[in-house]
Amino acid sequence: MVPEDLFYSKEHEWARIEGNEAVVGITDYAQEQLGEVTFVELPELDLEIGQGEVLGAVESSKAASDLYAPVSGRVFEVNGGLESQPEWVNDDCYGLGWICKIKFAEESGTDGLMTAAQYEQYLKEL
Amino acid sequence: MSAENQMTEAKKSVLYELHVQLGGRMVEFGGYLMPVWYSSIAEEHRCVREAAGLFDCTHMGVLGVSGSEAKGFLELVATNEVGRLEIGRAQYSFILDVAGAVLDDIIVYRLKDEVFMVVVNASNCEKIKGHLEAVHSGRAVIDTNEPQRRNTLKPKIVDLREASSGPTGKVDLAIQGPASQAVIETLIEEAGTKEELRELKGFRFLETRIDGREVLISRTGYTGAKGGYEMFVAPDEAGWLWQRLLEVGERNGLQPCGLGARDSLRIEAGFPLYGHELAGEFEVSPYEAGYNWAVKPEKGFYIGKAALEKANQESTMTIGRLQLPGEKGVRPIRANDAVVDIAGRCVGWVTSCAKISQNQIALVYMKKDAIKEDAQVGIYYAARNKRHQEQGRLGQIKLGETVQADIEGDSMKRFERY
Repeated sequence: MVPEDLFYSKEHEWARIEGNEAVVGITDYAQEQLGEVTFVELPELDLEIGQGEVLGAVESSKAASDLYAPVSGRVFEVNGGLESQPEWVNDDCYGLGWICKIKFAEESGTDGLMTAAQYEQYLKEL
Repeated sequence: MSAENQMTEAKKSVLYELHVQLGGRMVEFGGYLMPVWYSSIAEEHRCVREAAGLFDCTHMGVLGVSGSEAKGFLELVATNEVGRLEIGRAQYSFILDVAGAVLDDIIVYRLKDEVFMVVVNASNCEKIKGHLEAVHSGRAVIDTNEPQRRNTLKPKIVDLREASSGPTGKVDLAIQGPASQAVIETLIEEAGTKEELRELKGFRFLETRIDGREVLISRTGYTGAKGGYEMFVAPDEAGWLWQRLLEVGERNGLQPCGLGARDSLRIEAGFPLYGHELAGEFEVSPYEAGYNWAVKPEKGFYIGKAALEKANQESTMTIGRLQLPGEKGVRPIRANDAVVDIAGRCVGWVTSCAKISQNQIALVYMKKDAIKEDAQVGIYYAARNKRHQEQGRLGQIKLGETVQADIEGDSMKRFERY
């Protein structure tokens, strides 16, 4: 079961909404597909990004997967610990493995994202 | 993250259910659903180097070529000299097309004077069967210098993986690593056969019975393990052998291993993968891949000979093997990344790479003599998405182009055994 309190994208990112801020990471499904994550390409601070645009990347020896912004806004914090501990993405993808934090643009919100129940259904249909 | 599509048309290996039970993560490969790992690639890789690993290779093509004209036919279609192959021995070879391009790398086994077994890559099996059929039938042009010339040799060719081959059918299981001999020996009862197994050198094989079933055991493999074997059994017996091996091998540390580890092991050893270090976008020839010993122009005519010899005279490239840092936090190297010499010039490109422990081992297609063994070498990461390109990173790097290496390492010996 995926965490109930998060929102999800079709590209397997999750977003935890706190006021007008979103904490972003990749889901358990995504980290499992990748295998051992050895490198995370974090977005730059203050990056202005639109929903669905490429934020960065998560790489394993087998695959490189682009990370897409689940919401529009500005990146105001990144999880620097992933530079030396990329395996946090595998071991604790919803917790220690968070990737960055985005402050919402005025107009954007959780439009285009799925609830936990919708994402579970989406996974079943893959 | 981009979602993966599962191919539902992919065939299942005869061991599919066993893989699922063992917790294998299944992916489509060469038209078959195969396990890419069971525990992890790193764990399985380590297991083969330190103990032993068991690989499902039943998807690989196994062809039987027999009859009085079998030897002549195999001499015609492949680069190595089959005439010299003694009974009980195997040889590595290449099948080329008339233009000298590699269609596949193969191993040929001589079972009897007129009975041969040819093992081909799973992904090339249908292509090779089609090619051999076209040559066999006399339809195919076999010499562009003599377009009228045709093959007249008619050996019997069968696909030994088919159930219709009956008890003589063969599929491949590989057991690789220092403990493999001990594991196999546990299954053998006769002292004489145990002795034969102990004495078995590389590229030699024996045929025996285990629990009443016929098994061909060859000292061959794709992992670079000095101790490693392939075991060929009838398709119906593959499940039995797989389970028996895991049963008796447990105390030797035998684990099932998937395609991910198979790939990192063969990269570490320097072995080519068709489509990367052979053929592929660079049309890598057997000579460039480092296998001039498997090409015997002195034996006489074979399909593709003239073109290959000409290409070899003109070739300025070779496959190399490099070691670079690979601790976590270091970006993984990928195919198409540029190889950079100490003067900062691109001298080639990565064709395969694997992370092994704290290092990355890369196989590269590069200018001959550009980097000496043990010399320093750099890698430049090619742009992997639009963002990288917007930041000024190059997507395609030309030979001779000056770029700043992102990471530095060393050139290694071309091949390594473990």
